[in-house]
Amino acid sequence: MRRVGFLRATWIVAWKDLQLEWRTFDVLSSSVVFSVVVLLVFQFAMGGGPGRQLAAEALVPGVLWLAIGFSSVGGIARSMDAERRGDTLAGLFRAPIDRAAIYTGKLIGNAVRLALLELILVPLAVVFFNAAPGQAWWELVFVLALCSFGLCALGTLFSAIVSRVGRGEALLSTLLLPAASPLLLAGVTMTGALFRGETLASVGRWLGLATGFGLLYFFVALATFEFVLEE
Amino acid sequence: MNRSARPLGGLLLVSTLVAMPFALWSALLYAPTEQTMGAVQRIFYFHVPAAVVAYLAVAILLGSSIVYLYKRDLAWDDLSKAATEVCLFFCTLVLITGPIWAKPAWGTWWTWEARLISTLVLEILLVAALMVRRYADNRDLGARLAAILGITIAADVYVVHKAVEWWRGMHPQVFRAGEKESLEPKMRLALLVCMLATTLLCMLLIWLRYRTARIETRTEGLRLRDRDEGDDR
Amino acid sequence: MTAPAIAAARLSRRFGQIPALRDVDLRLERGERLALFGANGAGKTTLIRILGLGLKPDSGSLSIDGLDSKRRALEARARIGWLAHASLLYDDLTARQNLEFWGRLYAVEGVKARAERLLDELGLAGYADESVSILSRGLLQRLSLARALIHEPALLLLDEPFTGLDPDAADALRQRLTAIHSARTSLILATHRIEDGLALTDRWIMLTRGRIRASGLSTETDPRAVKEAYRAHGRPA
Repeated sequence: MRRVGFLRATWIVAWKDLQLEWRTFDVLSSSVVFSVVVLLVFQFAMGGGPGRQLAAEALVPGVLWLAIGFSSVGGIARSMDAERRGDTLAGLFRAPIDRAAIYTGKLIGNAVRLALLELILVPLAVVFFNAAPGQAWWELVFVLALCSFGLCALGTLFSAIVSRVGRGEALLSTLLLPAASPLLLAGVTMTGALFRGETLASVGRWLGLATGFGLLYFFVALATFEFVLEE
Repeated sequence: MNRSARPLGGLLLVSTLVAMPFALWSALLYAPTEQTMGAVQRIFYFHVPAAVVAYLAVAILLGSSIVYLYKRDLAWDDLSKAATEVCLFFCTLVLITGPIWAKPAWGTWWTWEARLISTLVLEILLVAALMVRRYADNRDLGARLAAILGITIAADVYVVHKAVEWWRGMHPQVFRAGEKESLEPKMRLALLVCMLATTLLCMLLIWLRYRTARIETRTEGLRLRDRDEGDDR
Repeated sequence: MTAPAIAAARLSRRFGQIPALRDVDLRLERGERLALFGANGAGKTTLIRILGLGLKPDSGSLSIDGLDSKRRALEARARIGWLAHASLLYDDLTARQNLEFWGRLYAVEGVKARAERLLDELGLAGYADESVSILSRGLLQRLSLARALIHEPALLLLDEPFTGLDPDAADALRQRLTAIHSARTSLILATHRIEDGLALTDRWIMLTRGRIRASGLSTETDPRAVKEAYRAHGRPA
């Protein structure tokens, strides 16, 4: 009896999510628009006048992670929502695959979408606020990737929980944003260091925190995802 | 269960009733008035224990959540529910006493320091967990999801605390003055007494809430069984 | 001696504290077709979900095609096709993409060709590359059936598949269910539609308050007798 292994099942689920996104552009478009709005509003709130001169480098990390934090919630929620309309989550549950692969598959889908969002958002922020991380672009990419992974790892688990009780974005943001605050702090601190021209090594322990966070919740989710989907 | 629980409950009740007056006396009368902050500093003797005890309740929540996932016995879910609600109570206490102490003492209502922030985060997450319980279609689903959340929240609060501590490391320390300085022996004793009393209070509240939850659960079970069997020929 | 399609003993399940299924025994031979009747809340859906491995029983044993549902769960799941009122399809993908997705998950060999053939057989070829969201309820049901059949399951479970179908679509479904009947495919149909249930199956059982209260052979049973059984054992209104 041929059967699909864990990695292949993960890939099949992830590919399906990306296919869906490609056909609808639903999540990406609304996320991008939303985060641009956040940048804009922040500019109004903080910019203009003497405040503006005062260290755009100080503002940009905060605004960036604010935008990422809030937009990611919408995207992650909608990704799990797509499984509600046809009750496809029940279909996935019955498929002859390791149920944790449903988690990893959706995690990859969320991570790719978030990465695309950041690809658009970061240059925009650099332009709007006229601030840049010096030469440390690759380090910035690394920081973004690391913290985004943690965000998606926890967010995917929470989105499944929230979806099981028939709720959406509002409850997800209430759960995810406070719980992921260490990650956001890490992101802001490390991004801030890079924008100030410092090395990542100087904020090394935040790297450890972000990595630990991501791994911790990744494994908690792997262990408990089946229980969330049960029934 | 009933027989063996009563002595425990009785013991908790009596010891709490004895300890609380002691705590009040030690905090309000026995401990000397602090030089710089004055009488309002005495809130410290309730603020700090409340925070510590909230974390204790989280530890209990973690334990009962894990056990529930293994055993699927609703009694453990009732314990989780009790721990969640009592923790919420003490978190609220911390978040109220904090500003009350801070404003007259340091001139600011709020400070972004580790314990207050992690308590706030904990409060929000616990409320969300209770919402998940309520919105769930049936008891089993609610209990299971709440258990997974319980485990996640317990782990998370520790991480949040650490993260904020590190973060605050870059900013001037405003608070902790009342604690970081070496306490006078009398103050230390008062704090200890209050800590003990508050812990007993927490245990008592959890126990009481647990008992009520068990009765609710059992009653619901009887009601449903009754309705079903009544229709059987 | 081929293993029975289903061998279930003493299945019980409660939700919270509501008992939904009590000590149900069931045996279905290869190629046999069974109708599942019962009032709402009688345990029909619970039973068929447990048999479909979508729900775990609190106690009791279950094997599909000789595969124990606990020890060889993944293989057992691969033998089951499931059709319910929910479509189990992605609205924003095409019919073809949906079938290929599910086919891949079920490790179907030559999935593209198989999807193509199923679309043809079920008269959906014209909609193959259209978004599923444009399909009518009847066509959607046909595509859901294709999805259930993509991996050639040994056991097909249908949970009230006629819900919401107009007479034409219901006719079409009836015809297809009759057509796919073979010695290799077993079927369980949970439904309120007694005539359809009897016409499409070999025997039937009725659940009340989580237990099997009545049963019979479909060809020998008058629909009125089944309706009578509903009235006799069903919950008071």
